[in-house]
Amino acid sequence: MIRYWPAFLSVFLSLGAVAGYASLLRVPAIRNHPELYLGAFALATTIAAVASWRAARWPNLVALAISAVLLVLGGYFNFVLARVPAAAMALRVGEAAPDFTLPDATGAPITLASFRDRTPVVLVFYRGYW
Amino acid sequence: MQILAISPDSNEKSQELAERLRARYRFLTDHDLAVTRRYGLVHAGGGNKGQDVPRPTTIVIDRRGIVRWLARADNFQVRPDAADVARAVRDL
Repeated sequence: MIRYWPAFLSVFLSLGAVAGYASLLRVPAIRNHPELYLGAFALATTIAAVASWRAARWPNLVALAISAVLLVLGGYFNFVLARVPAAAMALRVGEAAPDFTLPDATGAPITLASFRDRTPVVLVFYRGYW
Repeated sequence: MQILAISPDSNEKSQELAERLRARYRFLTDHDLAVTRRYGLVHAGGGNKGQDVPRPTTIVIDRRGIVRWLARADNFQVRPDAADVARAVRDL
């Protein structure tokens, strides 16, 4: 059993990266660095590939399959799905923010200009939770 | 400082979210993305069902209504650090 420690290490790294990223999404240092989980998947794949090359036994091959699938899926998510295409930004620093009125959570209309001369405003555009 | 969080989400969902987080946020619903579009922040077809969604963006506006700081995502996993936003507001 002990000779399969690289396979165990690989699976531990792969699944640990998934669990760590998912549970620490609130931490900016984790959330804003997707390359951390990609690096963990790549390291896990390398370890499992070397182990499989030295001994093509099922624990090594299973570890290789798990880490390689996660590496491909993670890379696809990070480099393709999560990319927001570059677009011309209508708004620049130093320009007036366009005024608007939108309903709040109780349905009451909120107008941006109503905060003028009272307090700074932070607008957070977010994707929503569908 | 007033935080206005804008998404196409329905009011009930935003309300639940605000209560769950006990946040000082005011959640505004931009159901047809009209305001998001006026700000040039639509990510066409970027939703999980191919619908248009806002591109995650944080904008700091001073008391005169002038944009003083903004952070726009090119990867929706990445958000501006809250400390950077707080610093931008303090620097006004």
